[in-house]
Amino acid sequence: MQNHNAQQKWEKYRRHELAAALPMLQKLGFELEPEQPHTLGERFLMAGKRDVGGGGYKLVLLGTRISDGKKVVVKISSDREGMREIHTEREAREILRILKFAYQTLHAPSEILYITGGTHTISATAHIDQEQAFLSRPIKEQFDLSLQAFKAQESVHATAYSHTRAIRKIFDIWGVKEYLDSFRTSCAATLKDDPSNHALAESLAKAERFLVEHCDTVEQYCGFLTHADFVPHNLRVYQGSVYLLDSASLHFGNKYESWARFLNFMLLYNRPLEQALLQYVHDNRTPEEELSLRLMRIYKLGKLLEYHAGTLPQTSGDLHALSKKRVEFWREVLESLLEDTPLAQEVIARYQRERDLLRSEEEKKRQEALH
Amino acid sequence: MKIVLATPLYPPEIAEPAPYIKELAKRLSALHEVTIIAYARLPEKVPGVRIIAIDKRQPLFIRLIAYFFALLRAARRADIVYAMNGASVELPVAIASLVTAGTLIIRIGDAAAHERARRNWRTGSIEQFTFSRARRVVIDAPRSRPEIMPLEAYPKEEFAAYEASWQAHLHTLEDIFNHAKS
Repeated sequence: MQNHNAQQKWEKYRRHELAAALPMLQKLGFELEPEQPHTLGERFLMAGKRDVGGGGYKLVLLGTRISDGKKVVVKISSDREGMREIHTEREAREILRILKFAYQTLHAPSEILYITGGTHTISATAHIDQEQAFLSRPIKEQFDLSLQAFKAQESVHATAYSHTRAIRKIFDIWGVKEYLDSFRTSCAATLKDDPSNHALAESLAKAERFLVEHCDTVEQYCGFLTHADFVPHNLRVYQGSVYLLDSASLHFGNKYESWARFLNFMLLYNRPLEQALLQYVHDNRTPEEELSLRLMRIYKLGKLLEYHAGTLPQTSGDLHALSKKRVEFWREVLESLLEDTPLAQEVIARYQRERDLLRSEEEKKRQEALH
Repeated sequence: MKIVLATPLYPPEIAEPAPYIKELAKRLSALHEVTIIAYARLPEKVPGVRIIAIDKRQPLFIRLIAYFFALLRAARRADIVYAMNGASVELPVAIASLVTAGTLIIRIGDAAAHERARRNWRTGSIEQFTFSRARRVVIDAPRSRPEIMPLEAYPKEEFAAYEASWQAHLHTLEDIFNHAKS
């Protein structure tokens, strides 16, 4: 029933927003593609939820500028929080171009249109065409590109009083207190949505103790620009350079937060890349940094578990069964990180098999378009 | 010898001279008593090295004063104050050198700051005054540590060159320190 409600609410929003957007965009000289993969499948479960950068209802649409056929990505919202998120994303993109204390340049798609002040906020940015999806590139290339993107983020380090003054109105600035508070909030929400899962409660309690025990190591590497949702669908590769999408997820915090999100993702989608990046940190960075990465992976797993446990009350049938499998899988990953032992490959393979059986065709299509 | 390393940047900062100072402290501490004074909050530790961190998040004037007094205390007992260029270190070390016995050696490790000082009269004057107080101005720099890439062959030759450059650099510094002290 609740699944129906969440899905219906999203469907209603999507229909309403699209009906309003189509004539507006046409008037502005844009047309939309007939298929919009970013609004389908399990997208309804994510609507209005974000770790960083606000969160609200918005549509992400693919389209073309009629005058020259240029492909664009349109973000549109009439929801207050969604409008704020689009605005924040724009401000983040702008300030990153001019920050004096950034040592390397970060690439972001160029802005084509930005309109706000009326009933809708609309942003159109250039669609970065990539010859090949990130995950279908050779592993060496994936490694080099991801390292390039991590280093570009790490080059923006706000340490001085003047740095903080320059960014505090645009970006969230997180230290260990914010990470711990956020982790505790996630744990409480997770256990509320999955109250009878005692193994999960135990793992989360252990994780919290571990984070508290090493809170100085979390704080030590804060003050860096980091992307809370650094995964392949939020980056594009064009002419050897990495373009960061979803600038609303950028904030200042622990530099290993974006590494952590990426490595947790790669554990499932490209294990050799996860292992190569871990080896890189082990060989080239300090032991404190290696621990900081592990701590951030644990923190991010807390967020991921919150998200998947949060889908339990909203889903039924196969999607509900899949949510349960997801919670159990990521709990096992959390345990392996707490024990500092690699997760057995069979656990990953078993989960992938079960996930593929339970995923809807529409979601499979959305996933293909994402990565 | 008692050596004070005064630096504007120190790891977790990644820009030079942060990695240089950490590596230098590690190597010098085998033979000398080393203290680092840095603008940092939670600096990375080096076994056997004392690190005094001045929180960079304070307003400029307050952190300059804090740095100056920390330096003054450390420099009183030191034989050598080896300071990295950059106005935020140059100003406190130059003033401290007026009242302490430790010999001041300056290294131009931040080329961008040096360039800025050439174009700006205020930081330029601070740099000139500091250089005039220093026994030596060093520009020698060892190589940066090569990266070990997991999907590539181990950079054996690069590491040999890196190690050799550090040995040569330490030899140069020991010469300068001994000469300056005598």
